[in-house]
Amino acid sequence: MQIAIQLILTSLQIGAVYILFSLGLTIIFGVMRIVNFAHGHLFAVSALVVATVVSWLAARGFPVLPAYLLAVVAGVAVSMALGYVMYVFGFKYFQRDMVGSFILSIGLVLLLDGILLEIFGGAVRPVPEILPGNAEILGASVTIQRLFLCAMAILITAILYWALTKTKLGKALRAVSLDHEAAMLQGVPYNRMALAGFMIAAALAALAGALIAPISIVTPVIGADYLIKGFIAVIVGGLGSIPGAILGALFVAAIETFGGFYLDPTSATIAIFVLVIVVLLVRPKGLLGHG
Amino acid sequence: MGENLKLPYWFFGIALVLGATLLVSDPYVASVVNIVSIAALIAVSLRFVMLIGELNFATAAFVGIGAYTAGSAITILEWPFLVALVLGGIVAALVSIVFGYITLRTKGPYFLLIGFAFTEAVRIVYSKSMVLGGNSGMVGIFPPIAFDPWMPTFVMAVVALMIFGLYLLERSDFGKILTAIRDNEDVARTVGLNILFVKIACFAIASFAAGMAGSLHAVTNNVISPGDFSFLLAAFALAYVKVGGEDNIVGPLVGAVLLVVLGSYALGLGGHEHIFYGAAVILAVLLMPEGITGLLRRGRDRLMGKGKRHAA
Amino acid sequence: MTKANTVKRLALGVALGLMGSVAIASAQETIKLGLSAPLSGGGAIWGKGSVFMCNRAASEINEAGGVKVGDTSYNFECVAYDNKYNAAEGTKVAQTLLNREGVKFIGGSLGTAPVKAMQSLTERQGVLLFTTAWGSSIKGPKYPLTFTQMNTPFEILPNLIPYVSEAHPEAKTLAMLNPNDASGQETEEVANKVWQDTGIEILTSDFYERGTTEFQPIATRLAALDPDIIDLGGSPPADAGAVFRELDALGWDGVKVVEVGTGADALKATGGDAVEGVYMGAAVSFAGDDISDHQREVNEEAKADIGESLNAIHIGFYDSVYALKAAMEKAQSVDPKEVAEVMPDVTFRTFYGSEIGFYGVDSYGSKQQMQLPVIVTQIQDGELVELDRVVPSGK
Repeated sequence: MQIAIQLILTSLQIGAVYILFSLGLTIIFGVMRIVNFAHGHLFAVSALVVATVVSWLAARGFPVLPAYLLAVVAGVAVSMALGYVMYVFGFKYFQRDMVGSFILSIGLVLLLDGILLEIFGGAVRPVPEILPGNAEILGASVTIQRLFLCAMAILITAILYWALTKTKLGKALRAVSLDHEAAMLQGVPYNRMALAGFMIAAALAALAGALIAPISIVTPVIGADYLIKGFIAVIVGGLGSIPGAILGALFVAAIETFGGFYLDPTSATIAIFVLVIVVLLVRPKGLLGHG
Repeated sequence: MGENLKLPYWFFGIALVLGATLLVSDPYVASVVNIVSIAALIAVSLRFVMLIGELNFATAAFVGIGAYTAGSAITILEWPFLVALVLGGIVAALVSIVFGYITLRTKGPYFLLIGFAFTEAVRIVYSKSMVLGGNSGMVGIFPPIAFDPWMPTFVMAVVALMIFGLYLLERSDFGKILTAIRDNEDVARTVGLNILFVKIACFAIASFAAGMAGSLHAVTNNVISPGDFSFLLAAFALAYVKVGGEDNIVGPLVGAVLLVVLGSYALGLGGHEHIFYGAAVILAVLLMPEGITGLLRRGRDRLMGKGKRHAA
Repeated sequence: MTKANTVKRLALGVALGLMGSVAIASAQETIKLGLSAPLSGGGAIWGKGSVFMCNRAASEINEAGGVKVGDTSYNFECVAYDNKYNAAEGTKVAQTLLNREGVKFIGGSLGTAPVKAMQSLTERQGVLLFTTAWGSSIKGPKYPLTFTQMNTPFEILPNLIPYVSEAHPEAKTLAMLNPNDASGQETEEVANKVWQDTGIEILTSDFYERGTTEFQPIATRLAALDPDIIDLGGSPPADAGAVFRELDALGWDGVKVVEVGTGADALKATGGDAVEGVYMGAAVSFAGDDISDHQREVNEEAKADIGESLNAIHIGFYDSVYALKAAMEKAQSVDPKEVAEVMPDVTFRTFYGSEIGFYGVDSYGSKQQMQLPVIVTQIQDGELVELDRVVPSGK
């Protein structure tokens, strides 16, 4: 029982980051119908900037919590600026062109791989513990940092959900992702919506990177692992579907956790891939996909 | 059939490149020629599935399956070289039939991303199989000594044969069905075609070519490892297709030659290679959306003042 | 037509000119040392440090007058290519180094799969190969031109494991975790045997995928077994640190080992205080009093250049250059086969400070392994401390 609680908690903690990541992927796909493999680099840039800025401020005597908060602002800003550049000079010209946008994103992946390695080096960036200590939940042990990450992920997801269902922008975005031509006929400015969708996704990736930095291995290649998991989550859940992305992310996290515990991590990775294929065999458009 | 196939061009072209490979004596040039040939075959295989409108990222997996099959047949089973080579293609095609039967019900991004997942999963399976050499890789996959001086010519000949075969298929009635499916699947279905069957056939043919490319990769590289067959292999193949131009089978060939030669230059840039290669890909897709062949065709059309002349 | 011919002639002229300049360069007595190492992706940190150390050794030797063979003195030049840790790129690098650059000596190579690809060419083309790759299948009388430039699990574990087990006589059970890559698989094989010989019971031996960033599930599994010792074998330090941190959060506290752990920096970067007490077998401490000025100076330079303290892999790329110099001077030749012939019997001054040679008849059947000291280190109060230094005996 103790183990089961621990594993469920672990799934939720891991799933929290996957949710932020896959929400971004699914929004971009929904609005622009593109597959962006460079999404992981927005995440990595934010984590790297956070790590660098925190260490820099901490070395100058800043208390660690305000240093971290400043670093998060910096990380998200840099990452979103990069996202803006990506969109304006690249993806803007490849709306609804899956092959073209995909190859562009592969070019960006290679380019950014090289540039990040040049700027940040290959060494792991240390991030000091921001919120020290452990908490006990139903007898299972969780670090406060992880709890904070989970709480933030839930909060961000809730805000996003509210914004998409209640605000004008959110409704327009959803309309575009359901049927962009009908939405345009209704007077929704498609190009502005595409930019908004892309930037929201970039912000989600940047926040996820900033939140994971204190508890993960911050190197220029940190995004790759999350990118693969994030894409699997959105295929399982159904591309373009927000609840699908959340469900898919939790699904991947649960297999990773339970598989890793009862089998071993490598078998768990294979199990994830096999289950994707099984899901698609039953539902070729993912669990909550439509159309 | 026959009148519009431009057969003289093909025969002349194949004879020319084969003749050129006979002049290669420098081992470094030979290795680059082999890499170019194999890259071209992979790119053409990828493009063949694009005829039905799908982006087949599992190409990387099938190249790997071909390579590991040929490698096992030569080093473990000690089967004859040519048998092992063809076996690589056949096993890849068989696996692709099963994989295609399951996944070709999906389309577009789903199919793309499953191919991606499949590629990564297959790679982990190799790395866990000690009989295949695990992560250290499989070593000692040598062609017979007599083949050694002829390898570039041999590889080029196999590749040329495969590409020519795929070209003939594309120009046949079967090829027309494939593009009909891409343009409108429902219309194709209403005339009584079994769409899934046609798609699987297309997929299996392309995978046979990919598997053959894998076999050739194994025997020219002599050593293979799971890391060779990551999704990046398919990403590069897609770059060859996109940079060269996808409208025409010549496009992937142009792209493969150009990017591989650039790539072997960029190898000297060490860690900067990724920056160089990435920038080349980005500039190519931004500035030449129809690839080099598209650019050339437009240039030619303008010169000849023929407006919208359709290039073959 | 004439225009095309002019272009062709120009191209030919340029090509000949280039070849000519290469010929002049070799008349200035330079020996190129080829390096095949990962310079991008996750392994870049090891590759970049290795290139740094090759260059460092080469410039030291060049400034001291070069390599003296007969009346000529040769300068070393390191030429590095990115092998991306896989066989396909490893082959390209090997082809480029051997057949385009005309390299006759590989000063160092990193990554088992690319090294095997390199070796299949070097042995055939008569090129001398130095490597950090571990497998026992890479050495032996079948590969007379191959030499190993760092300690492998075969050297480290029989010294490290008994030391740990004597320091903790109460520890009876063990759980192992390794990355699912060549180094992890090779370390696990040796470790499994040595731990069992020491009388420790192995509860589980698991693998994780390289590139994993989330270690909570596997930490839960390891902690639930509650072993006395957890051995992370061939895991890169950053991964090991992350695992120990998760274990710490779960309340596990026992003996921590990273057998081929190469450094404290990355371990601390991800593990924080949870890595206190970790034993390592391939790390080098630059903190003690017996560190020479030279070692300290090179380490500071390396830290500025690559962002991490030097480790046994990097140092291997330094030592091989001195070994090559010694062998060339002893053989009075720059022919790779002649140099390889005398290599097993030369001695040279290693970066670690002592005068060493080659051994390995017992483990591999021939003398192809540098007789480097095995250094047992532990993290104490956040610092890497050297506990023991064994110079292995044997032939």
